[in-house]
Amino acid sequence: MPLVRNWQLGREMTYWYPEARPVKQFAAVFDVNKCIGCQSCTLACKTTWTSGKGQEYMLWANVETKPYGFYPLGWDVKTLEQLGPQRWEGGKYEGKTIFEAAPAGERMLNWEPESLDFANPNVGEDDCAGGVQTGAHLQVPHLAWFFYLARMCNHCTYSACVAACPRTSIYKRPEDGIVMIDQSRCRGYRECVRGCPYKKVFYNPMTGTSGKCIGCFPKLESGLQPQCFVSCIGKIRMAGWVSTPDKANPENPIDYLVHVRKVALPLYPQFGLEPNIYYIPPIHAPKKYLYQMFGPGVDHALEVYRQTPEDLDLSGLLSLFGSTERMMPRWRRQGDMVLGLDERGEEIARVPLKEPVYIREAFDSVRGVAHTNTP
Amino acid sequence: MKLIRSIALLSSLAAVTGCGMVSTRSTRAPAGPSVSTGEVVAVFRQGQPPAPADSSWSQAPVYTVPLLTQNMLDPKLMVPSTPEVRVQAITDGSQVSFRLEWDDSSRDDLRAAGRHTDACAIQVAAPNEAGATPSPIMGNPRRPVEIAYWSASWQATVDGRPDNIQAFYPGATVDSYPFAAAAPDKQEEMAILYAPTRSLGNDRGGPRTQPVEDLLAEGPGSLRPAAQAISQGQGVRTARGWAVVISRPLPDGWTPGSRANVAFAIWQGAAHEVGSRKMRSVWVPISIGRRS
Repeated sequence: MPLVRNWQLGREMTYWYPEARPVKQFAAVFDVNKCIGCQSCTLACKTTWTSGKGQEYMLWANVETKPYGFYPLGWDVKTLEQLGPQRWEGGKYEGKTIFEAAPAGERMLNWEPESLDFANPNVGEDDCAGGVQTGAHLQVPHLAWFFYLARMCNHCTYSACVAACPRTSIYKRPEDGIVMIDQSRCRGYRECVRGCPYKKVFYNPMTGTSGKCIGCFPKLESGLQPQCFVSCIGKIRMAGWVSTPDKANPENPIDYLVHVRKVALPLYPQFGLEPNIYYIPPIHAPKKYLYQMFGPGVDHALEVYRQTPEDLDLSGLLSLFGSTERMMPRWRRQGDMVLGLDERGEEIARVPLKEPVYIREAFDSVRGVAHTNTP
Repeated sequence: MKLIRSIALLSSLAAVTGCGMVSTRSTRAPAGPSVSTGEVVAVFRQGQPPAPADSSWSQAPVYTVPLLTQNMLDPKLMVPSTPEVRVQAITDGSQVSFRLEWDDSSRDDLRAAGRHTDACAIQVAAPNEAGATPSPIMGNPRRPVEIAYWSASWQATVDGRPDNIQAFYPGATVDSYPFAAAAPDKQEEMAILYAPTRSLGNDRGGPRTQPVEDLLAEGPGSLRPAAQAISQGQGVRTARGWAVVISRPLPDGWTPGSRANVAFAIWQGAAHEVGSRKMRSVWVPISIGRRS
């Protein structure tokens, strides 16, 4: 198998195909700390793309409560258990990826969920990791914790689904890195369902083929962010394009968060897929759990994130999240304003670092009504 | 496994040299069809292809084809399942019908998440000028093989299973589908809009009139639908497993009185066999009967 460079692992690894990066790679940053688990993203995707027959139990976008929420059931812990020790030495991964751990006769370490694994998308929702005992008090990390993990296809650089398909029915678009299933070629073997460790490919029993997130590519092609991004009322998301570390551009918001400030981390980088959805980890969860989920960059990411209120650039960029439907490939802070820009540097969005405060009298004498307190 | 491989190797050699290693000997048993030991014998018989349970199949000798795991290309089938398929054949001079019977303790005809369907396939190819056939593993580039694939799931649909989610998940409830808002005569048209697979003519699911699909391949991973649907089929459960009849026009080069090659594949849904994870044969010789 060819050797490819996986910068998230700090080393080369084997992959089914040679390295072939797209011209631009779709990517996103999710701030886990802001997610309130409202499932607006889930429903936005559901109503846009998966309301047909056979898609009833198919959620391309979902939010699950960690540690006990899974969709499908046990999707991550099963692969983690199969993979064995996942040791990091500094920034280098010393364990095996799912490609390197492939059993004889397989292209990768894989497993196939059962029907019932998809039956309860909200299993574990709002369940704490532990009970609250007498004498407990608020501290960080929390004694009893959970967090919402919003998920979608990671449009991985080294996609397991692409590698798994014996018919090459799955491809990565060279123009934007979106991973697509060719619905005219798919024969429903479900090798992609087995192979994807994030379990973000789904089988449609009515069409007899598999389906997955298409990154709302018609919107991307129009310079717009996907539906799950623009419907996010917590404004936890920003879509954009990520570079490799050697080409990181601080003016690119995704590069700034991922490469420059290193505050956003990949999900289970040890699987070896170089996933392209990056997460700002939750500040209140135990470090051991976060190391397993986001790799060795957790300490640094949390340290940077905690300083956000004093960090005008970082807080400014985070304020741009959810400010416009348009993609913002560039950004700039200008005094106490933060600007979202297009590729030519033209302004798309403008957000103040601090929202102005308006004080009004409790009683509106002009209209003869009392205001309620709705800050 | 060694014994099976040896038998397969002999069969393969026979296919390459264009002749059977053992001459055809049909010995009639007191009950049931006779047994062919060297090749599939397509006996001449006029009329429509008989159904799988039709007693007229007793006129066609049974040739037991040993099956191998697909162990050439990843993903492979690492655990052998169906050891053999019992094959009979009938021809009327223009059509050839195969009856495949194999052991399978469970009926797996639901395709759903984590569930795979029982299936079988026959593969034929026109020999080239030298009389050689392409690779038995799905053919070669510019040397296509023709495949007729039967699925238990499609059979269930043809036999009347409804085309709805409750057929797959009996307890499923659905609030509404977008196409349900359309007028009754427009709903199917609108439903297809919500199923890109069907919009593109990739007929993997949905209502079907035939449980068999005609395909072409020019090497592993190259399987594609044939330009025309020429095969028909029917499968039924037996006490031991499945009996499936697949009928198709005689392939190019298969003239009455001649000899050719055919290959078979079986998938057991319960063993999660699908695609390349299958039990398959090498080329097996077949003699094409003619009017006596």
